[in-house]
Amino acid sequence: MNPGAVIVARGRSDRDERLLSADEPLATLQRACGGSIPGIVAIPQLLELVRKAGHYRMKLARVVHARDESSAISAWVEVSPDDEGCALAISNWRAAPLGSAGSMGGDDDLAGVAAQCADLHARLDARQQVLAVSRVGAPLEPLAATMREASGRPWTDFVEVAGSSHRQPLHWRLLDGAEVTCSQVPGRWVARLFPLGGEHGAVAGFDLYLVAVEAGPLPDPDVPRSTGDPAVDPLDGVLGRDLAPALRQPIARIIANAETIRTRLAGPLADEYAGYAGDIADAARHLQGLVEDLADLDAIEAPGFAPAPDRIDLADAARRAAGILGVRARERSIVVEVPGESAEVPAVGEYRRVLQVLLNLLGNALRYSPEGSTVRLEAGLRGGRASVTVADEGPGLTREQQAKVFDKFERLGRGGDGGSGLGLYISRFLARAMGGDLVVGSVPGEGARFTLELPPG
Amino acid sequence: MAEPAFPLADDTALRALFAERLALSDKALDDARPILRHLLGNDDHELFSDRIVAAVRAQLRDVAFQLIAAVETAAGNLDPRGAAEDSCDSLALAFADHPLLLGHAHALALEVALAERLAARLGLEPVLSPLLQELIASHDAATSASAMNLLAAQARFGQTQRRGELPLGELPGDLLHAALIVMRTWIGADDPARDAHAAEAECAIRASVDEATSRLGLLHRLVAGMGGKAIAALDLAHGGIALFATALALGSEHERDRALLALSEGQVPRLALALLACGLEPAAVVAQVLALHPDAALPLGSDSLRPASAAALLAGADR
Repeated sequence: MNPGAVIVARGRSDRDERLLSADEPLATLQRACGGSIPGIVAIPQLLELVRKAGHYRMKLARVVHARDESSAISAWVEVSPDDEGCALAISNWRAAPLGSAGSMGGDDDLAGVAAQCADLHARLDARQQVLAVSRVGAPLEPLAATMREASGRPWTDFVEVAGSSHRQPLHWRLLDGAEVTCSQVPGRWVARLFPLGGEHGAVAGFDLYLVAVEAGPLPDPDVPRSTGDPAVDPLDGVLGRDLAPALRQPIARIIANAETIRTRLAGPLADEYAGYAGDIADAARHLQGLVEDLADLDAIEAPGFAPAPDRIDLADAARRAAGILGVRARERSIVVEVPGESAEVPAVGEYRRVLQVLLNLLGNALRYSPEGSTVRLEAGLRGGRASVTVADEGPGLTREQQAKVFDKFERLGRGGDGGSGLGLYISRFLARAMGGDLVVGSVPGEGARFTLELPPG
Repeated sequence: MAEPAFPLADDTALRALFAERLALSDKALDDARPILRHLLGNDDHELFSDRIVAAVRAQLRDVAFQLIAAVETAAGNLDPRGAAEDSCDSLALAFADHPLLLGHAHALALEVALAERLAARLGLEPVLSPLLQELIASHDAATSASAMNLLAAQARFGQTQRRGELPLGELPGDLLHAALIVMRTWIGADDPARDAHAAEAECAIRASVDEATSRLGLLHRLVAGMGGKAIAALDLAHGGIALFATALALGSEHERDRALLALSEGQVPRLALALLACGLEPAAVVAQVLALHPDAALPLGSDSLRPASAAALLAGADR
C-alpha cells in the first residue's frame, strides 16, 4: 500500500467481481448505484478496475468516478488481487454536488432550451452591448436589422423592457426573464441572458435569446397582472415565481461549498484562499437574500394577497426581533434597547409579517449604525394607533432620501453591503396591507427613526 | 493567423471551426504514430527530433530488455543481461507496433523535453515545482507523504529518462499487461520449456508491481486528492509539467499521454479546449498557452466557450 494513503474504506470482492464486504461510504455508494452486498460491484468504474486487477493479476490504483442521486463522487482506489478475489482500499473520498463541475455549466441546459425556441439570438459583451446578431426568426427580422446597424449599443436600447422605468441595462440577473416588446413589431418576448466565460463574477459576455411569450412555459398572457400600479413592473412574477425556485438550490450550494472551503473541511488551505471563500459565501448570501426578497415581492404583489390579521403584542414582537438579531448586534458591539418584559402594546396584524418588518428595520439599523452605538426599539400607542419605532444613531436620512427610501430597488447610493433595495419597499407594502403604515422621520446626523403603525388591538 | 476571423456571435461557426481544427490536429496525431514507427525503422529524422526518437527507441528497448532478462533469469541463464542485450531490439520493434506502448514512450519523451524547455525559459525546476513544495509542506500528513514520494519518483524519472530507461513498475497496468502479452507472443509457444519460463517471469512481474507507488500513480492520486484545488496545478510555472499534464488529463477526461501530446506545437486548439474544459478562466487559458508557445495565436472567441461546450467538442473529436 502507498504509505501516504489514509484509507477511509476497505472492501473485498470475490473472483466473480462480487462485493463481499464494504465499509462506509463505499457500501452506501454500492447501494445507491443499484447494487447489494454481497452482489456484483455496481459502481461502473470500480467494476472495471476490479475486473482488470483480477485479470492482470496486478495491483492497480486509479481515480474512480461515480455518482449517486445528488453527488459526483471521486475516490482513489487501490485494488490488490489475491487468490480469493481483490482487496479494495479507498482514500481521498470526495463528493461534490452534481452540476458543480464547470464554472457555469448548469446554465448550459437552460441556454440550450432557450436557443431552441428563440426568435433572436445575440452575442453581447460584458456591458450588455450588442456585438452581433444571429439566428433570427422571421418575426424579429426588423429588430435584428436595427441591432446590426447600431451594434455596440446596449440591447435594451432596441426594446422596451415592459413597465421598467429603471435606467437600462440593469444587472443581467434582473433582466434575465424580463418581458420585452419592440416598437417595430407586435408581440411580446421574454429575454433570457446567459453569461459567458469568466469566473469570479468576471463575465466575458452574454448570449441573449428573445423567446416569444407563447413559445414556452412562460407567463400566461391572459392572466391579468398587477400592472395597474405604475410602481409595479412586470419584471416581478417572472423573477419571483420562475427564477427564485430555480436559483435557491444553486445559491445554497455555492454557500455550502464556499463555507466548506472557508472552514477548511476539505483540507488545509492558505489563509488568503480561505478569505476568498468567505467572500464567495458572503456574495452568495447576498444573492440569496435578493432572491428571497424578489420571491417575497412577487408573493405580496400578487392579486389577492392579504395578510391574516390577528391580535398581537407589538412589544413582544420587538423583543423577539431583537433576540433574533442579537448575534449580529454583538458582532458590531451595538446595544439594542427593547421594551421591558412588562410592556404590552396590543395591535392587530399578522404576527409573521410584523416580525418580518421589524427584522428588516432592525437589520438596516444594525447595518448602518456606527459600531458601539445604541439602537432603540420603542413600542407604544400613538395617535390612537399601535406603533413600534426603530431608532438608530447612524448618519440619518436627508429629506430627499426620506422621500425615496421606500422605493423599489432604492439603495440610496449604497452598494456592496448586502442589501437588495427591496426590504423597505416590501415592509411598507406589508404595513399598509395590514391597515397600518411604515413612516420615517429623521434629522441628518441624529439617526433614523422608522415607525411601524398598526391598528390598535 | 491566416484563417479569416469569424463572427463571434455565431456559436455554430465557432464550433464548426474548432471541430475542423480538431479534425486536422487529430489527423496529425493519427499520422504521428506511423511516422514514428517509420522513423524507428529507418534513420529518417524529419518530423520528430532526434532526441525524441532516440528516447522512444531507448525506452521501448529497455522494456524489452527487462522482460527478456526476467525470462532468462527464470530459465536459469547465468548471464541474463547479456542474453537480453542480444535479442531485445527485435522485441522492442514489436512494442513499437503497439500504438499505446509507442504512444506512452513518446509522451514520456515529450514530457522530459517540455520540462527542459520550461526549465530553460521559465527557470522552472523540473523535479520540484512550487506546487509540489506546497504539497510537501501540507498540514495533511497523507498529502505530505504522497508528495514526498512523488518528489522521489520525479527525481528517479529524470534519471531513468536520461539513461533511456523505462522501468516496468512505472508502466500503467494496462500497458504492462499489453507489453507482457506482446512479449509472450514474441517468444511463442513452440518451445514449451521457454514458454514455461516466460510464464514464470510474467507471474513474478505481475506480482511485483503496484500502480499506487509508481510516479504516474502518485501524480494521479495527488491531483485527484486536491479536488477543486487541482486547478492550481493548471499553472505551468506553479505546478510544473508533470502535475500540469496530470491535472489537464483528469480535468478534461483525457488520457495523460494524450494530454501531453496536446502540449506540443500544432495542438494549440486542443490545449485551449482542454484547459477550458477544466474550468480555467479564459485569461488563464491564454496565459498557459503562451507559456508553452509564445508565438501561438488562439482562435478568436475561444474565451466565450463554456467548459461543457469545450468538453463536448473534445469528446466529439476524440471519438
